[in-house]
Amino acid sequence: MMMPTLATAQPGALEKLIFGPKLPASEPAAMADGLFMMITWFSVFFFVVLMGLMFYFMIKYRRREGVPTEPSPHHNTLLEIFWTVVPSSSLLVMFVLGFQGYTQQIVSPSDAMEVRIEGNKWNWIATYPNGANSPEFQPLSKRVVESADGMSSSTIKGRDYPIFYLPENTSVKFRMNSQDVIHSFWIPEFRVKRDVIPNRYTTYGIKTPRLTAADTYTHQDTGEEMLGRDMWVFCAEYCGDEHSRMAATLRIVPQDYFNQLMEDWGVTGLPWEEGEKIYKMMCASCHLIDGGKLVGPPWNESSDANGQYGWGYPASLASGGTVERDANYYRESILDPNAKIVKGYAPQMQSYQGQLDEDDINNIIAYIQTLSEVPPNPHLEGEGGESESEAGNQAEEAAGSES
Amino acid sequence: MSTLDAHAGHHEEGSYLSGPPGIMAKIWQWATTVDHKKIGVMYLFAVLFMFFVGGMAALLVRYELIDPMRDVMVQTVDANGDLVETTATQGENLKDLFQGLGMAGDLTGTQIYNRAFTLHGAVMVFMFIVPSIPASLGNFFLPVMLGAKDVAFPRLNLLSWYIYLFGSTFGILSILMGGVDTGWTFYTPYSTTTDADHWRVVLMVTAAFILGFSSILTGLNFVVTVHKLRAPGMGWFDMPLFIWAVYATSIIQVLATPVIGITLLLLIFERIMNIGIFDPAMGGDPVLYQHFFWFYSHPVVYVMILPAMGIISELLAVHARKHIFGYRAIAFSSLGIAGVSFLVWGHHIFTAMGELAAVLFSGLTFLVAIPTAIKVFNWIATLYKGSIVLNTPMCYGLMFLFTFSIGGLTGLPLATLATDLHLHDSYFVVAHFHYVMMGGTVIAFLGGIHHWWPKMFGKMYSEPGALIGMALVFIGFNVTFFTQFFLGTQGMPRRYANYVDEFQFLHQISTYGSWILGLGMFVHLAVFIHSLVAGEKAPANPWGGLTLEWECESPPIEHNFHHEPIVKHGPYDFETTVPPHWDPKDYPIHPDAGKATH
Amino acid sequence: MSTMTDTNPTDVPQSILKSPKHWRNRIAGHHWRTGDEEFDAAKLGMWLFLTTEVLLFAGIFCGYAVFRMMYPEAWANGSHYLDWRFGAANTAVLLLSSWTAANAVRCAQLDKQFWLRVNIIITIVCAALFIFIKLKFEYMVKLGEGKAPGTFFSYPYAQDPHEPLWWSLYYIGTGIHAAHVIIGAALFGVVLYYAKRYQAYGPTQYTLVENAALYWHLVDLVWIFLFPLLYLIH
Ligand code: HEA
Ligand code: HEA
Ligand code: HEC
Ligand code: CUA
Ligand SMILES: [Cu+2]
Repeated sequence: MMMPTLATAQPGALEKLIFGPKLPASEPAAMADGLFMMITWFSVFFFVVLMGLMFYFMIKYRRREGVPTEPSPHHNTLLEIFWTVVPSSSLLVMFVLGFQGYTQQIVSPSDAMEVRIEGNKWNWIATYPNGANSPEFQPLSKRVVESADGMSSSTIKGRDYPIFYLPENTSVKFRMNSQDVIHSFWIPEFRVKRDVIPNRYTTYGIKTPRLTAADTYTHQDTGEEMLGRDMWVFCAEYCGDEHSRMAATLRIVPQDYFNQLMEDWGVTGLPWEEGEKIYKMMCASCHLIDGGKLVGPPWNESSDANGQYGWGYPASLASGGTVERDANYYRESILDPNAKIVKGYAPQMQSYQGQLDEDDINNIIAYIQTLSEVPPNPHLEGEGGESESEAGNQAEEAAGSES
Repeated sequence: MSTLDAHAGHHEEGSYLSGPPGIMAKIWQWATTVDHKKIGVMYLFAVLFMFFVGGMAALLVRYELIDPMRDVMVQTVDANGDLVETTATQGENLKDLFQGLGMAGDLTGTQIYNRAFTLHGAVMVFMFIVPSIPASLGNFFLPVMLGAKDVAFPRLNLLSWYIYLFGSTFGILSILMGGVDTGWTFYTPYSTTTDADHWRVVLMVTAAFILGFSSILTGLNFVVTVHKLRAPGMGWFDMPLFIWAVYATSIIQVLATPVIGITLLLLIFERIMNIGIFDPAMGGDPVLYQHFFWFYSHPVVYVMILPAMGIISELLAVHARKHIFGYRAIAFSSLGIAGVSFLVWGHHIFTAMGELAAVLFSGLTFLVAIPTAIKVFNWIATLYKGSIVLNTPMCYGLMFLFTFSIGGLTGLPLATLATDLHLHDSYFVVAHFHYVMMGGTVIAFLGGIHHWWPKMFGKMYSEPGALIGMALVFIGFNVTFFTQFFLGTQGMPRRYANYVDEFQFLHQISTYGSWILGLGMFVHLAVFIHSLVAGEKAPANPWGGLTLEWECESPPIEHNFHHEPIVKHGPYDFETTVPPHWDPKDYPIHPDAGKATH
Repeated sequence: MSTMTDTNPTDVPQSILKSPKHWRNRIAGHHWRTGDEEFDAAKLGMWLFLTTEVLLFAGIFCGYAVFRMMYPEAWANGSHYLDWRFGAANTAVLLLSSWTAANAVRCAQLDKQFWLRVNIIITIVCAALFIFIKLKFEYMVKLGEGKAPGTFFSYPYAQDPHEPLWWSLYYIGTGIHAAHVIIGAALFGVVLYYAKRYQAYGPTQYTLVENAALYWHLVDLVWIFLFPLLYLIH
């Protein structure tokens, strides 16, 4: 049997067919592809031989009425040993190569940059060594759909998904855990995934590729063509309603651009800006801010058959009755979501007790306030935190004391 | 102990299908029967019904995946690019479909989808494929092929049928109450915390738990039957290979099912009382659940495939009029597969376990491929110098070799550690297991049903009709699932209601394939109904088979045989023996027959 | 499995049905060549069934082993909470009952109808005693102190955060075992009924007695493992 070399070869037509546009992004990934191709060729060989024989026999020995079957041996020890030993030994080769490739895919050098990955329903959150999180987001699709009348076109857009940046040609180690159920962190280009489990850390390492001039992406906000490479991150372990939307973009960029980002992201912004960041990272999978319904109710000022939403509007509860949406209500909704269930929704939200600290909660509440006009929103006019806080509005006080 | 005359009170009997006059009396007779044939037939219709339910869910799943619908808001812009309108797409196809039928309720599209594939997987595995061949064809033909009048414990047999009904009722109830969205694997902690489905999850898990008992009792019954009820003259190596396969299957059922029993029981306790064994928040271990679950659910995939392999041995031998090549190798490899199957469960959780365990399980998994490969080689060699007729059962037999080989061979990159890290929980796995379960078990099952249909119901089916169905199934099946291998390698995760645009083309082809496949299945259904209503009367031995069931009438009499059969030839001695009910003039025997090497 | 039920009363003359020693007139199921074969089959079936039971409990023992490895502290504390004397008493009770169960089989083989019944009754009484001790001196007391499984745990003096898990395993292991004790006792109840009413068991016909005793030995055996694992090993 021919043994294909496992080094990073230029992918052939068949590899392109099999792996599509997703070229392997690292040495171990290329080796895994090579191994996959080897197994494929092995399989094709046996399949073709066996099916060839089958079709040949099928035609050669088709039934002719009145013609008896010729005698033939009942078994043939030599043949049987042969077709046991040959496959067995090639399976052994597969096993050993698979094992070698596996160790390379899992381990990371000790000087690797450690990025913490946290999975929760249904977000990926990456925390960099300096404690920063990525504030950049983009929708999954930028597809433009022509509508039937030809006059207008519509863009499909929706929830934004985080963009994680990593520098090129660097060893990275992911240290991962989950806040709720099991997820699985999969970057197809690296040909590796690992489950993300609550109450336990799992890890794996990747080595990001070098960028070539052909690697460009369009920046989601500026529309600029920039040097870098985008890849999808998927959640590969079933985790509930929005499992299929638990995605992120991994963007490999030049080292100095990455360093620049790290510096920029370290700076904390105004309370509602910080709140918005948290929203996008942790809450956007269930809450929309444009009136749409997901697993949870929208946060902005809006209404539907089940009642009104948004800061300042009364919430209709599943248990009947309404309750004023004030800071206390929001605080409770975050720390003990099941205490009051909004009508038309299921108790799907977990408590963020212990995950969000006081500042975070206040920042979120400040952010929620900006999404609503009632009562007149101080931030929208003043562009700052100097407005008078309402009675009982702790969020405001906290925001004020911080800035 | 005294020897008692078992033949006391023997009287002239009609076919087992003829019952007392009057519909109520008939129903009562069937409901209380201890006749393995009647029980087998009831199982046959029940599992086909479940197949239908699961298949419809599969078509829904494929329907949803025809377009990506990855996002939730549509913003309409005019020619200048200014925003005109923002609407929430109720977009997901299933949601639209169900709303059209007035039954979407509060569910979103993804929620409906998640219920649909869970329903599909759970129904197909627990209610269809595990009982499928053993409980229907096995129940009917195992005693007959052994030359026995019934299984060892007829009442137990009836009991396991009722347990099956009882368990399925729980499952159906759970579905009617709104369904479960955990996936057929019920992984913790998701299954123990998903709030929306409190009782439905418990009901579904209870269903699987109860169905396990049915499975254990059937398996136990068969093992004892094979040990104790072989006809005089039938040694272990004179048994048809179908019996060997069912025997190996039964051993797995008896040994593996109790473990899923205790696992599901713990899951139910966990769900109702929060005992914490699988709950990480209390120090429990969710991966332990996965180990428990796969300790059963891996062997169970061989519960699915071994009886199918048994059927294939029969189909190929009878319709090629050839003795099986390497009879003992095939018989022992069934036992080998059964044995090794208990050691490889870890290959389903490579991405969640430690390095050492992963390496161990990977190595062991390759071992399982070897006995399977031996079987395939022997089957191909069986065709050599045969007298092959391409009727529906034989076509299904050959189709099995084709599709099952693809399914099995694609198990190899899954067993290889380096490649499984990429392929795990992707559509590659989905394609793999449909090629072995649908392309293996279901294909063999269909072949077996056609092969034994004349015997079971005394009616022939329409050969041209069935061949059309077969061709549609073959094309549709491959179009549906071969594409999914590419989806998997390109990075499409499984259990996704939405996906990124780049996968759409392949998903669409797959969906169109599923329509062809569904059409083929309905053609088969029509052929069967036509046969029952207006089929020609079947001869006792339409194919010239040598195993004992062909000595019975079609359909067999109440106690199978008029006289206890005495076995004088092997099950596959086609070259030297004229099959029962055949005229030697119609059945030429080669002058050199019997002189061939042994 | 059951022998009585395989008798087909319509094939048997009424006079025989009324005769006291029913076991003599036992007729094998129609599909058996001899009654011996039927007996062997029933026993083989029972052994297979017992295998499934062993595997069922194997799941629990596995869980025990895994968590013992993960949380040795909690496990050590856990067994300290249990009073080995109750466990030992129950072990004795079960051993005695296993002995009487074996005796019952012997008596059936020797056609000692009276002693057959006595032995079965002792077995059943032992089963009841076992359950009584378990409930009254162990479950009730412990639940009263808040030593309950999982989230129900409210024992204020726990020394290790994982003690609730220990109790979960304790209750599940012993609870499922207790369920088996009850099922076994019920099975013996059935045997007792047939033995008394029909004298259904004798030298040529004691399948159900034998199978009930086999089942009972298994129940005993499981306890023999549970007892040291839960009460003795710290
Ligand atoms: C009928 C059921 C069935 C059968 C028979 C098999 C057979 C095999 N399966 Fe499969 N498998 C499933 C049903 C089945 N499987 C299911 C349901 C799942 C997914 C469950 C879920 O997650 O929901 C799964 C998942 C699964 C995984 C986990 C993937 C993952 O989630 O990451 C793995 C990994 O090792 C695997 C391996 C194998 C192997 C090595 C065989 C071998 O037994 C195959 C042996 C067969 C051959 C090798 C082909 C025939 C032989 C020849 C053509 C001769 C030439 C061959 C050689 C020389 C080797 N299977
Ligand atoms: C026996 C097992 C079995 C069978 C036969 C099938 C059959 C099919 N399956 Fe299924 N499938 C599973 C077991 C099976 N599946 C399992 C275990 C899962 C995983 C679930 C999970 O992730 O939890 C899965 C998941 C699964 C997925 C992935 C979902 C996801 O991950 O998001 C898809 C998607 O395409 C799919 C499609 C199909 C299709 C199109 C068929 C078709 O082949 C169906 C064709 C059948 C019919 C159309 C019915 C016709 C029947 C009649 C007309 C009745 C009478 C018939 C006769 C008399 C002959 N299946
Ligand atoms: C798993 C999905 C999910 C996530 C993630 C989630 N929520 Fe929720 N949320 C819900 C659901 C469902 C409801 C409605 C039921 C209820 O009231 O508990 C809800 C309700 C709320 C409410 C009350 C809303 C109202 O209009 O009355 C607030 C406030 C809230 N969530 C805040 C948050 C914050 C802050 C985060 C992130 C840190 C978050 N949620 C993340 C599902 C989620
Ligand atoms: Cu997270 Cu799937
Ligand atoms: Cu497996």
